[in-house]
Amino acid sequence: MSLEQVAIGSTARVADVSGSDSTSLRLLEMGLTPGVNVRVVGTAPLGGPIELELRGYRLSIRRHEAARVAIAK
Amino acid sequence: MTATPDGSASPDGSPSLAGRAGRPVVVALLGNPNTGKSTLFSALAGIPTRIGNYPGVTVEEKLGRFSHRGQSIELIDLPGTYSLVPKSPDEQVAVDVLYGRLAGVPTPDCVVVVADATNLERNLYLATQALALGLPTVVALTLSDVADDKGITIDSAELGRRLACPVVRVVAPTRAGIDALGDAVLSVMQSPRQPPQGLDAHLSAVDPRHEPAAREAIARYAWIEQLLSGVVHRQPPASRPLGERIDDVLTHRLWGTLVFAATMLAMFSSIFWLATPLMDGISSGMDWVSGLAESLLPEGAIRSLVVNGVLAGVGGVVVFVPQIAMLFLFVAILEGCGYLSRAAFLMDRLLCSVGLGGKSFIPLLSSFACAIPGIMAARTIENPRDRLLTILVAPLMSCSARLPVYLLLCGAFVPNVAVGVSWLRLPALVLAGMYAVGVATAALVALLLSQTIFRGPPQPFVMELPGWRWPRWPVVLERVREAVWSFLQNAGTLIVAVSIVVWALSSYPHNDAVIDADVAARREVLSARLAGLKADDPDQTDVAEELAALDTDDGLAAARRGAAQRHSALGWMGRLVEPLVKPLGWDWRLGCAAIASFPAREVVLGTLAVIYNLGDIDPGEEEGGTALVRRLRAATWDGTNRKVFTLPVALSIMVFFALCAQCASTLVVIGRETSSWLWPVVTFTYMTVLAWLGAFATYQIGTWMGG
Repeated sequence: MSLEQVAIGSTARVADVSGSDSTSLRLLEMGLTPGVNVRVVGTAPLGGPIELELRGYRLSIRRHEAARVAIAK
Repeated sequence: MTATPDGSASPDGSPSLAGRAGRPVVVALLGNPNTGKSTLFSALAGIPTRIGNYPGVTVEEKLGRFSHRGQSIELIDLPGTYSLVPKSPDEQVAVDVLYGRLAGVPTPDCVVVVADATNLERNLYLATQALALGLPTVVALTLSDVADDKGITIDSAELGRRLACPVVRVVAPTRAGIDALGDAVLSVMQSPRQPPQGLDAHLSAVDPRHEPAAREAIARYAWIEQLLSGVVHRQPPASRPLGERIDDVLTHRLWGTLVFAATMLAMFSSIFWLATPLMDGISSGMDWVSGLAESLLPEGAIRSLVVNGVLAGVGGVVVFVPQIAMLFLFVAILEGCGYLSRAAFLMDRLLCSVGLGGKSFIPLLSSFACAIPGIMAARTIENPRDRLLTILVAPLMSCSARLPVYLLLCGAFVPNVAVGVSWLRLPALVLAGMYAVGVATAALVALLLSQTIFRGPPQPFVMELPGWRWPRWPVVLERVREAVWSFLQNAGTLIVAVSIVVWALSSYPHNDAVIDADVAARREVLSARLAGLKADDPDQTDVAEELAALDTDDGLAAARRGAAQRHSALGWMGRLVEPLVKPLGWDWRLGCAAIASFPAREVVLGTLAVIYNLGDIDPGEEEGGTALVRRLRAATWDGTNRKVFTLPVALSIMVFFALCAQCASTLVVIGRETSSWLWPVVTFTYMTVLAWLGAFATYQIGTWMGG
């Protein structure tokens, strides 16, 4: 299961970030590292980006980027 | 908590840094975006001594100078970056400056890492990377007052011990901690320290399947969690923080979108309507100055140069200032309070579908008022590919300068009939259609370019939504000042130069004998036409009127002015391009008007008035507009009675002006914002080609449909 599928308002624990390009590295650098807790705050209209809360701040990423973030069951 | 550089001796008195006598110490300000770095820069150094671009890139360089305890310090504001593994030109510049790899920029002697106290965990990512460089480093905890309000306490002395560098708490707007920060900089340079060790211990714990860069990122966060344990204390707030509750509404799919639409509408209409009186004021002021110049200077070439060349050019520059100032005021406020990122978040999907990103929305929207502030507002787009694409398509949005052209032609040549329902009139529909043509073309061009020349790996849209806070007024005003100043300084001179060139083209060569002959010939043509017309012919009054005007002083002067223009280099160029514009249904006079409107689209109406012997009237005023419309309606192809202006021709002119790049100021600003002459040339070329094709299709289809 990936972060893209997490329901709004729920919290998930990151298991892994797939891919080895600069996007994956940026996701890690922004703090989406394995083990961190992330809350899905909301989503933009028309299937736009999602809003996350982690490490005490808010981050938005696109859905296909969220799909790279695997979450722990 | 007091601002103490981790327990080391505070360098009170006047430290003299060995070997630096006379030379300023170079301090680089490094930090994540949205950390209050600009506010800290202002608090330390005041107004920047220099703002420009780094050599060879479009990344803004900001330098400042100040003195602390007798030591002169040069401050370099590095572009905001999340990591020292660069992913954008901005970040590359920050890294290159730190390593002293950028020619013309001094290698920093000391780094001040700006860290947002409300978001320390992620901010320490960059801070710990910077410490590993081995340069003398100080960490400045900004937004400490906001952290206090949020119930976050930070033991900065303990953090300083763990990081082996001074950690200074600052509240930049009130200057609290600013002196302590200066002391820490001088002290850390006198007694360099070993960078903290600790990352290696965490690296071995990371799954070795990851790439080295990913392993480092994972290990670094593990290390930061350890560094911060016991240092940061969060008191859970009694109620949910206001910022979170605001976000619930403003980033909500439905409510957020509605609030966004209302905000944009308010912003757009303010730029459109509030700036108008100011622009009118500037225009009247320039008219007054022109009148003064006319009364002071003797009739002749110098007067014409001053009034129609220089003053017209200067007026054409300063008239943009209210819009630029207004837009940057709004953008700086929205950026300062954190809404700009939310707007990009909400609009991202829509703009993604045409190959742009959420941050392109505001620049494109403001281009409906004027492309110049719009293109300048594209500075807020960090991603260089998205920024360039936005700049390239922004001039396709129908700006307010196109409106007079649309209004005049729609009113004069589009039949005022109802379409379906009685309140929906055809001219209004055509007017709306012109705006739609621009938007649709922009979408297509953006899509096409993003799939071809700008094709590349997908750019990450990993955007922080910074905490809500009040905008800092000095920072807001500084952005407005900087935008206006850079426009006047860099673009203004070139725009005036272009205006003078076009004036020269339309004034020379000047030959009185040729002009006399032209006026005499016109008199003969009109007399012959009048004799051939029946008394009840609708053209009869117009022709008689133009003929009678030639016997008045004003009418003769206007006719001579028109003749001078038709026989100038501009007239020659108009005849030269006639084969090119004929397929659009235009005669050479329209070709002339299109060329003369290169400095600014709205000039086309004034040029047409001169070409059609009306002299210097204002087609924007009702009286001037009516006179011009009547003259245009009566205009015929040379040597025939065939009318020039028909509905298909009017439509073809409108489509041409909707898509063309007839605005020297926009092109100059594109050149300035991209630091390259390639992009204005590309913009002019592609837009002119599209304008020609659009006008051609409109005229041909219109003529075919009309029978």
